[in-house]
Order: sequence, then C-alpha cells, then structure tokens
Amino acid sequence: KMALYNFKKIMVVPTSKEFIDITLSKTQRKTPTVVHKHYQIHRIRHFYMRKVKFTQQNYHDRLSQILTDFPKLDDIHPFYADLMNVLYDKDHYKLALGQINIAKNLIDNVSKDYVRLMKYGDSLYRCKQLKRAALGRMCTIMKRQKQSLEYLEQVRQHLSRLPTIDPNTRTLLLCGYPNVGKSSFINKVTRADVEVQPYAFTTKSLFVGHMDYKYLRWQVVDTPGILDHPLEERNTIEMQAITALAHLRSAVLYVMDVSEQCGQTLEQQLELFNNIRPLFANKPLLIVANKCDVKKISELTEEDQKIFADLTAEGISVIETSTLTEEGVMTVKTEACDKLLAHRVDGKMKGKKVHDVLNRLHLAVPAKRDEKARPPFIPEGARIGRKTMEVDAPKQYWDLMNQDEKYDVIPEIWEGHNIADYIDPDIMKNLEDLEKEEELKVKAGEYETDEESEDEEMQEIRQLAKQIREKRKLKIVCSKDKDVHGPRLPRTVKKVERKTLEKEMGDLGLDMTGKDDSHYAVNARRSRSVGVAKKRKREASVVPTSRTRSQSASRPPRDQSGVRDPKMAKQAKKLMKNQQKDMNRQGKKGEADRHVFDLKPKHLFSGKRKSGTNDHR
Amino acid sequence: MRIEKCYFCSGPVYPGHGTMFVRNDCKTFRFCKSKCLKNFKKKRNPRKTRWTKAFRKASGKELTVDNCLEFEKRRNVAVKYQRELWSKTVEAMRKVEGIKRKRQAQFIFNRLKKGKQLEKEEAISEVKKNIHLIKAPHAGKAKVLEEKMVQKLQEDVEMGDD
Repeated sequence: KMALYNFKKIMVVPTSKEFIDITLSKTQRKTPTVVHKHYQIHRIRHFYMRKVKFTQQNYHDRLSQILTDFPKLDDIHPFYADLMNVLYDKDHYKLALGQINIAKNLIDNVSKDYVRLMKYGDSLYRCKQLKRAALGRMCTIMKRQKQSLEYLEQVRQHLSRLPTIDPNTRTLLLCGYPNVGKSSFINKVTRADVEVQPYAFTTKSLFVGHMDYKYLRWQVVDTPGILDHPLEERNTIEMQAITALAHLRSAVLYVMDVSEQCGQTLEQQLELFNNIRPLFANKPLLIVANKCDVKKISELTEEDQKIFADLTAEGISVIETSTLTEEGVMTVKTEACDKLLAHRVDGKMKGKKVHDVLNRLHLAVPAKRDEKARPPFIPEGARIGRKTMEVDAPKQYWDLMNQDEKYDVIPEIWEGHNIADYIDPDIMKNLEDLEKEEELKVKAGEYETDEESEDEEMQEIRQLAKQIREKRKLKIVCSKDKDVHGPRLPRTVKKVERKTLEKEMGDLGLDMTGKDDSHYAVNARRSRSVGVAKKRKREASVVPTSRTRSQSASRPPRDQSGVRDPKMAKQAKKLMKNQQKDMNRQGKKGEADRHVFDLKPKHLFSGKRKSGTNDHR
Repeated sequence: MRIEKCYFCSGPVYPGHGTMFVRNDCKTFRFCKSKCLKNFKKKRNPRKTRWTKAFRKASGKELTVDNCLEFEKRRNVAVKYQRELWSKTVEAMRKVEGIKRKRQAQFIFNRLKKGKQLEKEEAISEVKKNIHLIKAPHAGKAKVLEEKMVQKLQEDVEMGDD
C-alpha cells in the first residue's frame, strides 16, 4: 500500500492567494481574449462560457491532485498512520482535506449554474457580468480555504522529510531515557550522523541508519528519549518513540546508563522499563548497559547488580557496552541481529506461506546399497600438499644448514635465465643423465651434417636453372615494358628485323653466319619491294582530293600498315570480318559505333529563360 | 628479481621493462613491449600470430619435448640456500645451455633438410621443361647433321664411282 504514496513526490500546495492568481492568469492566457459587441450572440456566449468552464476545470484539476497526492490515513501502513497522527493530528488533517473536497464541489456547482444562466444572456454586457460573477464566486470559495491550504503545505513539507523506514524489514529499535547513548550507538553501528549533545532531548524525531550483517540489510531506528509518565501526558516527541515501538516488528534494544550520567538512577530506569514492558511483547529484547567505561556492572552496589541479575534470570541478555571505547558494540549488534533473525524465521515457519514452499522441497538422500562403510577419503598427496602450505611463525634468524653462509649474496640471474628455475636437489643427477644421453646421440651420429658434395652434373643443372629463371624474368619485364595501347595485334603483324632474328638465334646457340640466301632473308628483301609497289599503284587510281593530298604519302593507310604482302593483307581482312561476324549477328555496338552524346546543349542551358520549354527554346 | 616471460611473444621481460595487466579473475599478464600489449587487446591468439614463440612451438617449428628443456621450469617448492648447490647449479646451467642450443639447432636443420631435396628436384624439372629458353634444342646439331650429310654424299659418290 505504501507504494501508492510517495511522500516526497507530493505536489506543492500553493497559498490561496497564489492559487487564485495562478488560475486567473492561466484563464487569461489560455483562452481567447478578443470579443466584440457585433459578434453573433452564440459566439459571445460561447466565448464567456469557455472562460467559466476553463477556470472551473483548472480549479478542479489542481484540487483533485492535492486530494490524491496526500495519503489517506486508512491506506498506509499503520506505523505511518500513527506517526502522522502523532505529528499532525489525524482530525485536523482529515478536516483540511475534507474542506478542500467541499471547495472543489462548490466550484463545480458554481460553474454549472452560471453556464446554464449564460445560455439566456442576450448581450455582451450581460454575458460578461455573468462571467465576472462566476469567477468571483469561485475565487471567494478559494479565499476561504486559506487556512486549510497553509496547513496542508506545512504537512507536505514535514512529510517529505520523514525518514524512510520500511516497516516490514529487519529493524533494530533503540529506546530508553534521554541521554543514555542511543544516538551514539547508532552513529557507531551505521553511517548515520545523529547529533549527540549533553542536554536531554537532543534527538527530537526518529532517525534511521542502515548496516549490513550476514549479507543482509538492517535498519537501525534511533528514537527520542522517553520519560516515565503515563501515556496521556506524553508529548509529541515521546509519542513518536512510542509509535515506533508499537508498530515496528523489530528487535528492541533498551539502553540503560550504568553510570547514571543521564540524570536518572538505575531504579528509575528499571521503572520505565517495566512500564513500557507491554510494548515489548513478541519482540526479541536486549538490554544494553551503556557507558561501561565509566562504571562497570561489577563495580556497582549489590542491589544494583541484583537488578541486572534479575533481568538475566528472566532470560533477557544484558550486554555491557561503551560507545566511547566501542567495547561490546559489535557483540550487541550480532546478538540482536541473530535474535531477530531467529524470531523472524520462527514466525515464518508458523505462518501459512511456508507450507507452500515446504511442500515443493524434497531432500533426496541416496539409499544405502550395502552395509559397507564409505567414509570421506582425502588422498595422501593432498595431505602432504596441505602440510607444505603450513607456515610457521617467522623466525628471527635464517635457519640455514651452514651458518657462515648467512651473509652470502644469492645470485639470481645468469645470461637471461633465472637461476631459481634451475634449482633442484637432483640437478646433478639429471645433468649426468643428460650428458650420457648426449654422448649416445653423438655416437649414433645424429649431429653429423651429411652435406653431400654434389657432383658436377648437379652443379651444372643448378647453373642452367638459374639462367632459365633469369631469362624468364627478363622476358616478363620486357613484355610489361612494351606498353601496348589499343588493340593487340598478333605477332606476325610486325616485321621481324633480320638483325634481331639472327641475334636471338645466335644467343640460343645456333650458327647464323652466312645466311644471306636463306629463305627469310630473301623474303625480307622481297617484301620491302612489294610494299613500295603497292603504294605507287594506289596513288595512280584514286582521284586526287584535298584529303589525299594532305595525307602524307609516306603514311600507309591503316589497313595496309604492318602488312607484308597481299597474302597477309587478305588474311588480315579475313580476320577482321571473322571477328565482326559475331558482333553483327547480335546487333551489339562495336568500336566504330561510338556516339558522343551532347547531354548539355549550350542553347538550352544558357541565356535568359524567355518563352519556350526546356526541350527547345 | 626475476626475468619474466611476455605472455604474447614469450620473450624476456627484464625488471623495469614492459607492462602488466591484471584481469578481474586475478590472472596477471606481462608484456615486454607495447606491440604485444596492443595485439593482446585486439584479442589476437598468440598461437596463431606467426612471429611469436608460442606459434613456433605450436606448429612444430621448434623443439618442444626434450629432456634438456625440463631443467628450466618453475618449481613451487622453496629450497633452502646452500652455497654448493647454488654454485653447482650455475655450472650445470652452463652445460645444459650448450646442449640445448645444439639440440635446437639440429631440430631446425632436420626440418629444413626436406626443403633442400625439393629444391634440387625443382631445378632438375625446370631445366628439363624450359631449356629452350637458353639453348635451342638442335644447337650445334646442324653442323653435325651437315657433316653427316657431307659424309653420306661422299659415300654415295664413292659407291657411284665403284
């Protein structure tokens, strides 16, 4: 239920004057402001009705929000309900909220009435007066709520500053006379920083601190001191402590001052203890005998010691502490926590929810196969290993075998190796074995590098292979250097010089001397003459035009350059036609079908845009 | 004072050099230089990074199992200081180091032997296939053929005479 209300998120409650100002200015800004006499009457009516309704809506919304934000005392945890009662008086609180509710309803009624009346307004002036009256009445209603709103604002401020005590979780509650040392205790045990002063009633309200124990979060609640008088005469501050005692299911730590520095004798403290005993019912109880650094229980008189003895006899543990020297503080903490945990577990076991869980749990124990005893087994190696780990207390002297080695400087590193890695009592034995092994290996001939001296043939082969590889690389480099742009012509297109041919073949080892009447030399001489004749023939047949004259005679046309003889020319033409056959059949674009598109013609992209379209101007 | 091993490249980390990275599970990683650290941060596997010792050992390029390597290992049993044991250990270290180097070198040599064999075969096949690039197959044979033909003609002439 607590989750529905967040005391820190309650909206600010404005004063009545502010409230009125805010709402009226909002109406002014958010509704249309201009209206004229000559407008149609329904328009004027609508204008003023809108203003009235808008104001009413605003008031209604804000007041509803206040009513929902403030917690209903029946809905929250009884601890908080009681605390709020103690602090703010339940009746006053309920009355204030009731007044707000009434105001809200009245405003709604006012608005309804005046909107109804406005339907019969026949002029701008009448409607305006009606609107004025409506708004005026609403504002008067709000003015009357001044007191309630002020009270609620104060409640809100105080409420948001209350400590967040979770009533359901593990809590330790400190109580006792003022000045016994409750706040000092909470300061020691948690990170809380509660004010500690020598005067009584330093702590005027509840304080919470958190601590950890056994991997759980614990709340420690510090209360203001309680004096010994009947319930009716208690003031607000004490009542807070009583409320906490009454409603929180926690472990109670009753703090007593053994040294009587708080101003109360032990008898008086005992009196108080017995008086509020009924509040400790069903709660694990612990008595903290504080300020034991000043006076110990053993130093007390017989009667006083008897008090403590009685308490112990009843089954309540008494622990001596001193928040100054921190003696016994941890003992108190652990005992109180353990007691509370045990109590809570008991409670849960007796409850109904446990059975749901218990019904689903099942502890499986393996069934005995036979009567053979099978105790747990720890192997010897583990035992030995454990022993080597045992470290004795460090001795003051080095327990070496030979005492005059005490001052030796121990070498640690040798040539990049750690000596500590080689230290082994058996190292000499291992070394001997290794050396024997090495001898055997050497004898067996493992270390002999059998470099076969290669015979001449092999050497020659290697030499040749090297030459071959070099020649290949050269060829590759040459072909890359050729840098051919354009279509790759077959090898036979270029005329082979006689010189290069003879040189190449000579390099390969053939004898190329005296080859003047060899076939290729004769042909070479012949081809030159054929080319010349062809040129002369062409010039005579073609009609001389400016183009032919401009073309230099020494430049053969492209389909005759690089061609040795008519036979080769015919072959070249055949090749050309063959290549084109496929392309022509498929109807694809060839090299000669190149068209340069004019994508941005100047006449469309320049000049002023007069008449015409983008396709033509 | 000890010389640690770099987690990535297995090189030596001398005191005052390198960096150490401690992971949340308390495992420490030492690095000899930032190259190793950067590779580690990139989550590269040293057993797959070719230049590391871990790769060489994992892919069998170096001697891994041998008695001489068993001498240098981290023993978790503390031995009390004895002068003679320490001095003997230093002597033993020297000898073991010598033997270790010999064996490692031999291992690598054996590994590379096969390569030499392959090289030889390759040279032979190269020469067989591509000899035509440096020597025409019938170089020098033309003269021999000519001489043969001349001889044959002479013989024919002689036969004709007879």
